[in-house]
Amino acid sequence: MHIPLEHYLIVSGILFSLGLLGVIMRRNLLVIYMCLELMLNAANLALVAMSRFNDNLNGQIMVFFIITVAAAEVSVGLALIVALYRKRQTAHVEDLTTMKN
Amino acid sequence: MFENLAWLILFLPLLSVAAITLFTRSKPRASAQISIFAVIAAFVLSLIVFVFFRGSETNSLPQASVPWLWVGDFKADIGLRLDALSLGMMLIVTGVGSLIHIYSWGYMKDDPGFARYFASLSLFTFSMLGIVMADNFLMMFIFWELVGISSYLLIGFWYEKASAADACKKAFLTNRIGDFGFLLGILMVWAVLGSLNFQDLEIRLVPHMKDYAPVATAAGLLIFCGAMGKSAQFPLHVWLPDAMEGPTPVSALIHAATMVAAGVYMLCRVFFLLNVPGSHALEVIAWIGGFTALLAALIAVQQNDIKRILAYSTLSQLGYMVMSVGMSGPTAAMYHLTTHAFFKALLFLGAGSVIYAMHHEQNIWRMGALKKKAPATYWTFMVGTLALSGVWPLSGFYSKDSILAQALETNHIALFVLGVFVALLTTFYMFRLVFVVFFGGARSEAADHAHESPDVMTWPLRILAVMSIIGGVMGIEGLYTKQFAPNAEGHAAGFGQQLLAPFSHSPLAAYLGLFAVIMGLGAAYALYSRSLFDPLPEKLGWLSRAMRNRFYFDELYERVIIPFTQEALAKFANAIDRWIISGFMVRGASGTTDLVGRALRLLQTGSLQTYAFLLVAGVALVLYLVLLR
Amino acid sequence: MSGISYSEILKLVAPEMLVSLAALAVLAIDLLVMREAPQRYRFWTGAAFAGLGCGLAIAWLLAMNPPPHSMSAGLSLLQGTYADDVLVRLVKVALLVMTLFTLAISMESNFTDHIGEYLALILLATVGMMFLVSSENLLMVFISLELTSLSLYILTAFNKRNVESAEAALKYFLFGGMSAAFTLFGLSLVYGLAGSIQFSEIYSKLHAAKIDTLLLAAIVMTVIGFGFKIAAVPFHLWAPDAYQGAPTPSAAFIASGSKVASFFIFAKLMMQAFAGAEGNGAWRHFTPGWLPVVATVAACSMLLGNLAAIVQGNVKRLLAYSAIAHAGYALLGLLSNSQQGMSSLIYYIVTYGLTVLGAFGVVAIVEERTGDASISSFAGLGRRQPLLGLCMMVFMLSLAGIPPLAGFFGKFYLFTAAIGAGKDMGMLWLVIFAIAMSAVSLYYYLQVLKQIYVVPAVEDSRPIVVPVSSRIILSLLALVVVVLGCAPELLLGRLITAIKLASHQ
Repeated sequence: MHIPLEHYLIVSGILFSLGLLGVIMRRNLLVIYMCLELMLNAANLALVAMSRFNDNLNGQIMVFFIITVAAAEVSVGLALIVALYRKRQTAHVEDLTTMKN
Repeated sequence: MFENLAWLILFLPLLSVAAITLFTRSKPRASAQISIFAVIAAFVLSLIVFVFFRGSETNSLPQASVPWLWVGDFKADIGLRLDALSLGMMLIVTGVGSLIHIYSWGYMKDDPGFARYFASLSLFTFSMLGIVMADNFLMMFIFWELVGISSYLLIGFWYEKASAADACKKAFLTNRIGDFGFLLGILMVWAVLGSLNFQDLEIRLVPHMKDYAPVATAAGLLIFCGAMGKSAQFPLHVWLPDAMEGPTPVSALIHAATMVAAGVYMLCRVFFLLNVPGSHALEVIAWIGGFTALLAALIAVQQNDIKRILAYSTLSQLGYMVMSVGMSGPTAAMYHLTTHAFFKALLFLGAGSVIYAMHHEQNIWRMGALKKKAPATYWTFMVGTLALSGVWPLSGFYSKDSILAQALETNHIALFVLGVFVALLTTFYMFRLVFVVFFGGARSEAADHAHESPDVMTWPLRILAVMSIIGGVMGIEGLYTKQFAPNAEGHAAGFGQQLLAPFSHSPLAAYLGLFAVIMGLGAAYALYSRSLFDPLPEKLGWLSRAMRNRFYFDELYERVIIPFTQEALAKFANAIDRWIISGFMVRGASGTTDLVGRALRLLQTGSLQTYAFLLVAGVALVLYLVLLR
Repeated sequence: MSGISYSEILKLVAPEMLVSLAALAVLAIDLLVMREAPQRYRFWTGAAFAGLGCGLAIAWLLAMNPPPHSMSAGLSLLQGTYADDVLVRLVKVALLVMTLFTLAISMESNFTDHIGEYLALILLATVGMMFLVSSENLLMVFISLELTSLSLYILTAFNKRNVESAEAALKYFLFGGMSAAFTLFGLSLVYGLAGSIQFSEIYSKLHAAKIDTLLLAAIVMTVIGFGFKIAAVPFHLWAPDAYQGAPTPSAAFIASGSKVASFFIFAKLMMQAFAGAEGNGAWRHFTPGWLPVVATVAACSMLLGNLAAIVQGNVKRLLAYSAIAHAGYALLGLLSNSQQGMSSLIYYIVTYGLTVLGAFGVVAIVEERTGDASISSFAGLGRRQPLLGLCMMVFMLSLAGIPPLAGFFGKFYLFTAAIGAGKDMGMLWLVIFAIAMSAVSLYYYLQVLKQIYVVPAVEDSRPIVVPVSSRIILSLLALVVVVLGCAPELLLGRLITAIKLASHQ
């Protein structure tokens, strides 16, 4: 069965938008992180599909790297949440408003 | 070989700054001596180069330039241009500058910042010489800004005084507005003509006229913006009177003789860019100059602070010069600039001497009868007043006359009438000042105990007075004619002929000018020769009030324009940064239940997500701009 | 594949290796040997090693010039994952110099006990930037961008005593993550359209292609990631918070080194890979492409950055908004889309980086001594510590673009590049705007100077004691700003030759 490129791209676009919406709307920092990951994975999906249709492996190699980088990013992000939680006992974005001019 | 001396002239004052800041900061007397020596040496060297130039029969000495930055299309040199225009101006800057340096020795004697003062003065001289000698726009602009900075230092010399601090900020910011236009004008000229060097530009202008003509008006007016800021033309005139917060010799040097003249000088330097067929820039320049002359003269009539009267008088005279440039008369403008430098510096220094004598009292209605207490000051001040009013045969008469004649020649009848009227006002307010300060009875304790200033202060006055008297018959006009109209015949050869030239050249201008002087003098005598207070406010009512309040321009700027442009805009921008928070909080609170309301209420979750939303909105906006248009 | 041996590759990446090794060494020494030593001592040792690494890297870069193994001026290895030419080397040197200065201005702050980690992270961020500037490949761009960003996030969170620090880092991080996702999505589209991740191949595929919706979307999304890194409106919102909350040396590094690298690769990507998809950014003649996108972003940045800076009460926040504005000016260089534009961009951003490092250096000291970085804590600085006041004056005036300082010449050269670009002065509208905005900007820089020189210190007017080392460093930076303003050729001449050489490969 042949699935055209557009379908992959549309799915990845939807995933990306869902992730973006989550980042904007969810209140818990952890959930926001997950939504960020969703955005990255949407891009990954697009890359894999493109790689398949371009008939070269560049895209797939890129995906591997991105997965690795995303793991590093999560570790940094979680560390930051922990640092914040120790200070403020909260993981909710609405509490992050101490800085104004 | 003489042209190499020019480098020395330029850098002597800078060396003096370096020497003072590095070595003699803690020794006030030595600092002052270094600074005074530097400026006098620069004057002597200028004189040598000048004599050489007069003997050389050329229009300009070979340019000495050092490549500064040559990259790709972009070439900038550090070069000196030595012709009649710049040499004349150099003599003024260093000559009048020397006298003011010497005078400062006496005036600033007890000030704790003596060394700093002289270092700033030298820095100023250096930057001013840079403007004058620059052979390209970029260098001129750099020194232009440097002059701004050094004058900022000098105006704010007594920075402990809040008014001085505010004044220097005002001066700096107002000048920036002018410089904004100037820089843009320079860039425009560069984009069209592909050069920044004045000589190159003049050569390139002819073949590129087709390209330049369409932008000539815009470019000319933008360049004029720079002059508007420096030479304090309406509507950027507000900084000059406030700048009088600086020490009086500074006012004499910067706000009378040199810096404010830089605008006029610059216009003359690039006159060939303004005087382009099809360009309306000159017309606008003439009218702005004329308007400034009138406005400032009217304001001067009702001021009571001796330095402010002179400040507005300076504004008015600068308006005269700018008007003259606008009427295609750079020769007359430079002529008036030169004589004005003599007598206005004289008047400011005289005022300084009066203030010194009165122990820093500046209100003229607390003075009086100083004629006997300070005779040297009185006589020299009188000479300056007569010259400024334009009394034959003092220098002011000739230069003012040549501007009026220029107006007639170019058929600017309205501006001619305006010019004559301003001449009348000038005589009126100057003699009001003289009568109140030097005649009548002493109006205060201090006036009773006034004393003459020391010799180190009165001698510069005497020298300037002599220059103010003979300035009209020294052949200054011929010098500038050589620059701007090399083919024209010289005016009068013999001394006697020169003395009477205006009457034969353009009798209407000469006689009307004298008539205006007599009227002004008569009016001032009638009103002020014996009065203890100012009779005008009663007679003129609201007009006098408006004049005294400077036609409310400062208030207009401070209460309307500045708050609007600066603070409101800034708050607006800050608000944009957070518009969603406040905007949607209100809406959320009002309990909207529709879909939009709900979606927006979600945005209140915290500023971070507001930011995220804004980012997405920004992305959407950019995408919209790019894709859907 | 290009037949180049591993030893050659190792030689090429030696500067990066040196800095990485220095990072590891600093970490190891601090954790293993120096644990018990007093803080100052630890810092000096760590900084010495870090500085040694950077110094060796600089020496290597300068000594091995031009690249020894090829006749041409530069080379691009392994599908563009590592490009090397004179220009890249020059930018790397600039980056390393900024790292050195960052290390130097960190010396006076004692916000953390984890000195080894702190220094190592600065070095790792530098490595990321160095790889970033020498990549001509989308994958490499992404990875080195992430390496830089991740290090900077942690550097932002380093002040554990301050509540704001962690919060700032989180905001920075979430924003970074989002824009990274956008960029990645954009890059994936670019890859899909061009079938390659190498700049030169993308160019050869795309320059003749019709500009369609998908390509534009790809370009815009790619721009977002860089817009975030250079803090251009509307991707700037993290900057004020991050600058304010971050430890001052970290903020200085974010504002200087990271910006230089991002600007450079941004310009390279746009001018090399997307050449042919410029469109037109002239007023009222917008045609789709990346020029109008960047022009809009530049105009917004100048407007918002300058105006919002006026009302700021915290100097770090003020510098953040001023950074946004400066990003707007610098984009003019990119908009010129020419060699002159590139040289003006690099000159501007490098001098800006040095200036802002100095400014943050002064802020760091004042913050350390007075407790906060609000504008009012600068009151009376001119008398409490004349040298510091003088340096700050030089930095502020240079940022405002007053001659003869570097900032003035940078702006002037940028404007001439922009005004000469395209037909009929197409960018004139933006230049007018930029000059007007830089006139506005003087206002808030003067506010700071007014505090320093005019307003007397309120509570504490005792002199501020500053160690000699800091004095030397700040004076050095001020001197550089002055010298680069008076003799721009020193830097610009090299840049231009390098750009000419690089474009011939």
